Amino acid sequence: MSEIGDKTVDAATRTMLEKAAGEGIETVFDRAEKMKPCPIGSEGSCCRNCAMGPCRIPAPKKKPKDPEKAKKRMGLCGATAETIAARNFARMIASGCAAHSDHGRGVAEVFVAAAKGEIPGYSIQDEQKLYQVAMDFGVEIGERDIKDIAIDVGEKALAEFGRQEGELAFIKRAPLKRQEIWRKLNIVPRGIDREVVEIMHRTHMGVDQDYRNLMLQGSRAALADGWGGSMVATELQDILFGTPVPLVSKINLGVLKEEDVNLIVHGHEPLLSEMIAAVSQDPEMIQMAQSVGAKGITVAGMCCTANEILMRHGFPIAGNFLQQELAITTGAVDAMIVDVQCIMENLVNVAKCYHTKLITTSPKAKIDGATHVEFDEHDAINTAKRIVRTAIENFPNRTSKVLIPDERTDIVAGFSHETINYLLGGIFRASYRPLNDNIINGRIRGIGGVVGCNNARTTHDSSHLTVVKELLKNDVIVLTTGCNAMACGKAGLLTPEAASKYCGEGLASVCETVGIPPVLHMGSCVDNSRILMAATAVVKDGGLGDDLSDVPAAGCAPEWMSEKAISIGQYFVASGVFTVFGVTFPIMGSEGMKDLLFNEFEETLGGKWAFEKDPEKMAKLMIEHIDKKRKALGIDKARERVLYDMEMRQKLDAA
Amino acid sequence: MTDKMIKKQSFTGKKVEILGETYEPGMPAEKGQWRKKLRNRKAMLKYLQSGERYWYLDADQWCGSERRKSKA
Repeated sequence: MSEIGDKTVDAATRTMLEKAAGEGIETVFDRAEKMKPCPIGSEGSCCRNCAMGPCRIPAPKKKPKDPEKAKKRMGLCGATAETIAARNFARMIASGCAAHSDHGRGVAEVFVAAAKGEIPGYSIQDEQKLYQVAMDFGVEIGERDIKDIAIDVGEKALAEFGRQEGELAFIKRAPLKRQEIWRKLNIVPRGIDREVVEIMHRTHMGVDQDYRNLMLQGSRAALADGWGGSMVATELQDILFGTPVPLVSKINLGVLKEEDVNLIVHGHEPLLSEMIAAVSQDPEMIQMAQSVGAKGITVAGMCCTANEILMRHGFPIAGNFLQQELAITTGAVDAMIVDVQCIMENLVNVAKCYHTKLITTSPKAKIDGATHVEFDEHDAINTAKRIVRTAIENFPNRTSKVLIPDERTDIVAGFSHETINYLLGGIFRASYRPLNDNIINGRIRGIGGVVGCNNARTTHDSSHLTVVKELLKNDVIVLTTGCNAMACGKAGLLTPEAASKYCGEGLASVCETVGIPPVLHMGSCVDNSRILMAATAVVKDGGLGDDLSDVPAAGCAPEWMSEKAISIGQYFVASGVFTVFGVTFPIMGSEGMKDLLFNEFEETLGGKWAFEKDPEKMAKLMIEHIDKKRKALGIDKARERVLYDMEMRQKLDAA
Repeated sequence: MTDKMIKKQSFTGKKVEILGETYEPGMPAEKGQWRKKLRNRKAMLKYLQSGERYWYLDADQWCGSERRKSKA
């Protein structure tokens, strides 16, 4: 049995693990010790796509001397290790793309209904973003009524999911050279749903049996996620709820208040949580809470729902993925409201040990034993009121001893692409120029995108923080989303003050001048599309090449666990970004797939994967890649600055 | 508010006196609502053509890595 200190680097999590152990509560940390991952499945060498299997073809522990013998590793149908690993990997992409995109579809449906005035509670909060997306979709603006523009935008967005041919509209946002690469490889997504369906077809028994061809479709589906479903979700949410702007808030389990009715909104979609957040501030609700002996109502987020309501309203975050069971263990959570994705089924068992009401809200995601209050967007406010009332009524039922760890950290969030652009250039000339200039002059070495989940197979938050601190020390500015953003927040990296404490001199000086944290919180996992936009803005502003693969940048997911992470990783690789994953990697049983993903992709896609468990080595790989790109751009060495006089200029013009 | 001067080392190693922080001390009570500066449709569309010029302005009207390239 490992020590609690080995399970997490977060003090609040340690406190709660001790409480859970004392009260006999089993958590994901305990189960990770009891059950080891299947060694064959984890390397992608198990095929269960037909009833002749499952066929398991584990990689030999020693490299076989006879290559012909190695080729004999195959399933009953003859599927090789390469085909099996590629099928499994492509199906992970399909699942990840489907999750992000179904989220986007849900937003688009609400958007259309809101634009038509069919659902109260939702309205256009960012008119300018509406015009921006209207221009992307070719919707006429002119002097038209905003409602008509919104209906057209919503319907065009919805049509992206079922589109059968052509190209997704947001593809045109990518750098021109990148679009050319995709067209040449024939991997421009035709429609979001179509690419997911085609993966499921191709990976059916006896269809696509060429791992390179399977991975081309994997790339196309991943692009349909990043430049399709996820981007639709981000953009329409910005229009409906507001584009994030800088704000301050707090993070960690210490944001819960013993004297308040505490609600945790957990999952990914902001449609209901926005309403719960609004309703919780209703004087009628606060009065009701006071009538049962509470001082007020605290709404805190968990996982990416947390990022959504943080980015737009500053609601505090209770914690990231591995803290969900522990939040209930405080004994202070009167209701945990969940929607979709990253919700552990064991929450229902933990909730039974306390008074907490676990409330599922999505018809797509019910849990046996939980209370289901179906979210009806046509009656969103009343659904939200019903849930908040349930939490208030549950407040007097607290039974066990409440223990809320005294851990909460200040954070600054709200760094959308638009806000970064504004912060660097102001309203009259918003621009990424200062960032590019400081990359060129070397004060900033490059850009690191650090994203992804938590994984109980590795010390909670440890790899996240090690990678980020190592990058900052080496003057690499970090863009973050998801559970990594929360790990950084808890460790105090999301404040401007972190620049002088953790950064190299060059990066610190830039952050101090602009007044930004060295780690920029860009939102939830669908908001990785914001990172794509920021990287594209860097390319388009000039001086750092003409494609995303030219920019001194790299990405990583040190503690990934979900299929969505694989889809995100693949769309970054297919967009030209070097991407490193930690913990485990699901193709390691296939030599061919390793060579394709870790080497060949760089020739075709411009980006490639790497797998590295050690976070320090992971950061080193990213920095080496950044340095390689700096060298290719000719900005790897300091150059003497020459001020040209008129005579020198004339000579230059004559030449 | 009077300007605060601070001493720093320049990139050449020379000690220099520069303008220090100009922000007010403490935590802001409200979020930085910069987008509310764009008050009407005309201003919003104009901002898209300046701030987001690489996407929403004709390629021959701005400088950048793709200026000489053909339209996508």
